[in-house]
Parts: sequence; C-alpha cells; structure tokens
Amino acid sequence: MDTAAPLLSFDRAAARKAVHDERRRSMLLDLGVTLATILAALVMGFVVIALLGRDPILAYEALLTGPVTRLGRVGRWLELATNLILVGLGVAIAFRARQFSLGGQGQMVAGALVGALVAIYVPLPPVLGVLVPALVAMGVGFLLGLLPGVMKAYLNANEIVSTLMLNAIVLRLYDYVLTYFLKPEGSSTTRSLPVQPTAQLATFSELFSIEMGRVNMGLIVALLGAVAVWILLERTPFGYAIRAIGANERFARYGGINTRQVIALAFAVGGAVSALAGIHLLLGVHRRLFLDFVGNIGWDGITVALLARNNPLLVPLSGLFYAYLLVGGDRVEQQAQVGSELVQVIQAVIILLITARVLGEWIRARRAQIEQRL
Amino acid sequence: MSTPSPAAIVEMRDILKVYPNGVRANDHVNFSVLPQEIHALVGENGAGKSTLMKILYGMERPTAGQIFVRGKPVTIHSPHEAIALGIGMVHQNFMLVPSFTIAENVVLGAEPVKRGLLDFKAAVEATRQLSEQYGLAVDPEAVVEAVPVGIRQRVEILKALYRGADVLILDEPTAVLTPQETHELFAAIRNLVRNGKTVIFISHKLREVKAISDRVSVMRNARMVDTVNTREVSEDQIARMMVGREVFLHVDKPRLQRGEVVLQVRDLEYVTEAGVETLKGVSFNVYAGEILGIAGVEGNGQTELVEVITGLRRAAAGRVRLCGKDITNASPRQVRLAGVAHIPEDRLTNGAALEASIADNLIVDRYERPPFTRGGLLQPAAIAENAETLIDQFAIRAPDGSLLVGSLSGGNMQKVILARELSSRPKLLVAAQPTRGVDIGASEFIYEQLVQARNNGVAVLLVSADLNEVMSLADRILVMKDGEVTAIFPEVAALSEEEIGYYMLGVKHMPRETLAERM
Repeated sequence: MDTAAPLLSFDRAAARKAVHDERRRSMLLDLGVTLATILAALVMGFVVIALLGRDPILAYEALLTGPVTRLGRVGRWLELATNLILVGLGVAIAFRARQFSLGGQGQMVAGALVGALVAIYVPLPPVLGVLVPALVAMGVGFLLGLLPGVMKAYLNANEIVSTLMLNAIVLRLYDYVLTYFLKPEGSSTTRSLPVQPTAQLATFSELFSIEMGRVNMGLIVALLGAVAVWILLERTPFGYAIRAIGANERFARYGGINTRQVIALAFAVGGAVSALAGIHLLLGVHRRLFLDFVGNIGWDGITVALLARNNPLLVPLSGLFYAYLLVGGDRVEQQAQVGSELVQVIQAVIILLITARVLGEWIRARRAQIEQRL
Repeated sequence: MSTPSPAAIVEMRDILKVYPNGVRANDHVNFSVLPQEIHALVGENGAGKSTLMKILYGMERPTAGQIFVRGKPVTIHSPHEAIALGIGMVHQNFMLVPSFTIAENVVLGAEPVKRGLLDFKAAVEATRQLSEQYGLAVDPEAVVEAVPVGIRQRVEILKALYRGADVLILDEPTAVLTPQETHELFAAIRNLVRNGKTVIFISHKLREVKAISDRVSVMRNARMVDTVNTREVSEDQIARMMVGREVFLHVDKPRLQRGEVVLQVRDLEYVTEAGVETLKGVSFNVYAGEILGIAGVEGNGQTELVEVITGLRRAAAGRVRLCGKDITNASPRQVRLAGVAHIPEDRLTNGAALEASIADNLIVDRYERPPFTRGGLLQPAAIAENAETLIDQFAIRAPDGSLLVGSLSGGNMQKVILARELSSRPKLLVAAQPTRGVDIGASEFIYEQLVQARNNGVAVLLVSADLNEVMSLADRILVMKDGEVTAIFPEVAALSEEEIGYYMLGVKHMPRETLAERM
C-alpha cells in the first residue's frame, strides 16, 4: 500500500484556484468596504451638520464638488497632493520596516532650508538649478533620518520620542536662521529672498498658460517617486530586507540580515524622500521661505501613508484623496459657514473609519456568521 | 437520541464551531465522559481538540450544539461558569503568579478572608489538606518561581480542585515534564480518580495515552473519529485513527558513517542580561554524518547553546569552531555563510515571517545573491521558481509561493523552514524542537529529512524536549542540566529512558574524564 498517497493527492491546481479566487473576492470586498466607509462617514457628517442647524446639502456640495469647480482649485488640490504624496512616500519606507518615524515634518523643513541656501544664493544653469538644491535637500533629509535611525537601531532609543524632539529642534533652528540670516535687511516681513529663476519648478499655469494655481512639475516627480519607491521596496535586496524586518524583525536577524544597518538606513532613505516635499514647496509653490512654511503637511503625510497601508503605489491615490478632503473642507467653511473645527472632525472620522477598518471587520464577521448557518 | 445518556458526567452533543474566518474547528462533534474515568482526547494539531475543550471550559462559544453536565443541559459562557459547574482546566502555559507562594496561588481569586485581609493561615491549611487528600505533595509556603515545573503543574491542579472541580481537563500535561515527573503525575491522576474525580487528558503522545487512560476519543479534521476502550486498541491503531492512514514513526537509519569533526564547542559560557549563568562550560563535538541529540528538561541551557552557536547570542567565554574555523560570536550571517543551517525552536518568532509569502520566507538567507538578485534588482521569476521547486520537493501543502506563511498549518510552516535550511546545503544543521506542535504526518517527514541529511554527511545537532524523539533519531546523546553537560552516551540502543532521566534531573553526573573522552 502506498502510504504517502493521501499526502500527494493534495490537488494543487484546485487549491491555487481557490486561493486566487479568495484573494480576488477579498480585494473586491476591501474596495467595497472602503467606499462604504467613506459613504458612512459622509452620512454621519451630514446628520451632524443638519443637527447644528446648518444646511448640509450646501455644505456637501462644497465638500464634494468644491475642489473641481474651478481650475484654480484643481491646481490647489494637486499642489497639496504633491506635498502629501512625497511626505507619505518617505513615511511609508520607514513604516514598512515597522519603524514609527514621525520625522517627516522636520525633514521637510530642513530640506527646504538647506535647499534654499543653494537655490537663493548660488546661480546655476537651468536643470542643475533645480537638481542641485534637490540633491542637497535629500542629503540633509537622509542625515536627519539617519540620526534617529542609528539611535533606534544601535542604542534602542524610542524613535517616536527622538523624531518628535528632532522636529522641534529643526523647526526652531529654521525660524532662527530665517529671522537672523535669510531675512533681507530692512524687510518688514520675515521671509527670505526668492529663489533664482533657474531654480524654479515650472508650474502648469506657466507651462500651459492656464490658470491652475501653483501646481507644478513636482507632481510628476511625486508620481514617478511612487514608482521608484515601489521598485526600491519590492524589487531591490534592500527593500526585501526592509520588508522582512517589518514582517518579523527576529526572523530577519535569524536569517542573517544586518537588521541594525537596514533599520538605520530605512529611516535615512525615508528622510531623503520626505525632504523632497520641502523642496517642492520651496522651488515649485512658494519660491521663498517664510515662517510656518510647511504648515501641517508633515503630519498629514503620515495619515496619507497609513491610508495607503504603506503601499507606495497607493500613496498617490490616498494623497489625492486626502488633499481633496482638505480643499473641499476649505470650501465648506467659506460657503456653508460651517466652522473649520467641524470640517476637521468630519475629515478625521473618515480617516479613522478607513484606517481602523472597523466596517470591514464587521462585514467579514457577519459574512462568516451567515455562512455558518448555511 | 434526544435525552442525555444518564451515565455521563459531561456530554457534548453535535458541537459545531465555525470561526469568523470560516474555519470549521468542530464539525458536529459528540463527546461524552463517564464519571471517574480517565478519558484521553487525542488528535493532531488543528484536529479541534483544543477548541472542543475551550468550549467545555467556557472560553469559546459553540456555533451550535448542546452541552450536558450531570444530565442537565447547560450553557457555559465563561471559565467562571465552567468552574461553578465543577469543570476545571490546567493549561499548557501555567497561569500562576511566580512571586506568590503556592498557597496564595491556590486560593487566588477565591481567597479565604479574615477581617477583610487574606487569611494566609487558612490558605496554607486548605492547600495542605487538598495536597494530602489527593496525593499532590507540595510545600504550601514555597514561592512558585522557586519550584520546578512538575510542582507548578501540581499547583495548577490544586487550584482547580480548590475551586471545587470534579472534572479536570489537563491540556498536554506531560509536555514539560521529565520521565520521572510524568510517572508522578500519572500516580497523582490515578489518585484523583480514586477520590471521585474525572480527568480529561489531552495529548498526542500515544504511549502515555495507552499508559494512563481508560477510554480514548480520537479527533481528526474537526470531526470525532471514534471513542474506544483504550485497552482494546494498540498505539498504531490510535495513530491510524488520528492520521487516517498508516504511519511510521519508527526511524530506519543505515549504519553510522561518522566523518570528521564539523562542530567543535569548547568551554562555552553564557550569562543572561540579568547576570544568570545559563551555560557553564559546555564542550562537545558533532561529527559529519551523525546526529547528536541533546536531551534535557527545557530551560537547562539548550536554547542558549543553540543561539550562541548560530550567532543570535554572544558567548561570555569559550570557543565555537566549524570545520576548524572560529565562528565564536560571529554574526548570524557569517555563521550561515560558514555552513550552518538552523531550525529554530520557536518557528513563529524566529523561523518564519507569518505576514510574508512562502517565497519570501524561503530566501531570507540568500536573497541578495544570484539568482535571486542580479544587477542590484530582485528577480521575481527566480524567487517564484525557487518556491515552486521547494514546495514540490518538501511536499508543502500550498498552492504556490505567493501564499502567506501565516495561513499554513504548523507542520507545513515547519516544512517551509526545513526546506530553506536544508536547501542551503549546510555542513551543520542545528535543529531545535523540530517537531514541536507538528502533526504526525509532518513529523514523519521531518524525521526522514533529518536522517537523510545525516546520511548525506551533514553533522546534525538535534535539541528536543521529547526524549522519545531524541532516542529514536540520535546516534549519540548528550544530556544537559543547569547549563552543564551531565552525560554523553556514545550508544543509544541499550539506553533506557529512566537512565537518561537521572542525568536530566541531575541525580547522576558523569565524571569529567568520561565526558572529555566521549566528546
């Protein structure tokens, strides 16, 4: 009797089909759930606005169509998305190694500041005028990521604390340098000189002679960046090491990966990418430095990465989505007299529901329950 | 059959349990236990026996089905309610407070109180009384962390008895015990039954099932295969019921062709961060073409030994050489490059990344080399092909390499690890607890593979808490106790478990010269 027969009788082709069917079902379910979640959050916001005695229909018209009703607003939307995508990509790299680097804000500011020193004061030929400040900024972002990375990997310092502290330091330093060194003598506002003309990232308005605000070539860079980061994570040995550490750090170490080195570098590479967002703001959007230059973008970038589940190819989608919410929210404030706090609450609810995937889990559990009864 | 059978103390009828992810853990299972019997519940991992017992103990809710206790239909929503019904459970992982005394642990949660304070005397007295009544000798005033595992287990049993358990569920109680401790446990179980208790004994060690139980219920694939009188079936028959086919756990090895020394360990010492010395000068050799088995109760330095050799921990003193090359405190990478493969004892934390695909798990030690990386880029085709080949070769039950390792059964997960480690063509294979939590079918396969590696001239260092496993696989056996080598046996054939047990307990210790000679 062939005793091994039952083991070998495992039907691989059938199992493969079953697994792939299940995967497809699960993906469709995921997509459906995400859409349903957004809808649910919108309905909740609708009710709240109505309860507060404001006109929810007007508010929602502003939120949902506001960003696309004028070309200028489309520009604002895409410009914001560019920032969010770049920071989101940087954040996603560290997150994939399961390192909660919150240094995006600081890396952007530092990148912009050091990039500005070149872009304002060093006249360079076209192309190089953009490239050199960008590379310098990436270098600074790299170092600024490397520091907490090394501290985490070799000294086991908590990265959340170290990156937050570093942000605070960088922001103060930025204010100091701007106020005391970059602000021209006699100027009444605290801002720097503009960057060299050759250092400007061309806006779509300038390129196509349409009124599209300040959205610029940085958007293209951000989209290409998403592909580049995907290649880095999915198609290079370094990316493999990052993913292995993210999946199970002890496993990675056991397997022979130099986990400390890879963790430190993941912080650093993430920092370099985040710094590009600062360069985008500097060369493409504002073209000079001023106080509170980056706003909240470093933080929103973390949300964007989480929304995309740290998948670089999804970061552009989540960046566009989040930017849409932000611009739409501004419209709600202006058109429906709904306070910005309330708008932020609705935005937060949407994000929370999606990232927590509450609805998805609930639907899965229900589905299993129904299947049990069959 | 709509009324409960009058004789049963516990009856579970038509139990269905479907988890939210759709897995059927219990598929219309019937299970009934008579008063004062020792009822063994056996089955491979994932057969559903734990789920069934968790349902009985109120830790899980059945999707459908009925439970009767002493003939009355009951619903059990929590362990609390189970205890109120007289059902107690001793888990595999003890749930004791290490810094408390035995008496304090026994009464914890149902403390005798005097003037609002714990009545320590009453607790000690109650513990002493129970301990005498059921022949479970313990010192009520000893602190739990200071007593051996066998005693801790008794404390768990006493805890259940203190709460009034009539039916005791013991979940793989012998997994952590030496042969001697197992004997004592069995004596205690018989005592319990004489004193009117009923014992449900979960196990996959069929010899023990034969030795202790009156009846045995066998589960397979979430179904109850049968319940039979133990003395009417042989071990082989039980095994066949569990697996559904003939199994061979008797290992056939060709004669030993011992080659050169591959691994040389000399005076190895290890000190934990807390300053505890867990390896105290360990020395031995492993030769090409032999399996050296390390026996010992877990926690006597085996884990540290394996992890120092494989570069995961740093030795405080001593040398490790591989084919003459010093690899003491080398990085895991360097150790691997020198030709060491490692099947780690805890495959969930060390051996595999559950959230990563099978294909990715299979290349963690070689991903940056051709053919997996060329020109700085990973080669998905080569990675997938490697997975295909190894899935076939090692009979891993998976449709393809893209499946996440976390969705595999324990046995197949272990095969993924085995496939990776053996395909690295090692000179030394360190296998720690290679069949723990692995079903019989996969164990059989893993044994074959280890023996085959040995036959091909690989030096195999096997560490296992399962003495049976060590004795059937190893060419030589080394025993560890408290971070020291207490014995090396050059021949396994004539050895008895009892003899090894004495060295495991530290009752006997071979003289240094003998150990040096047999190194």
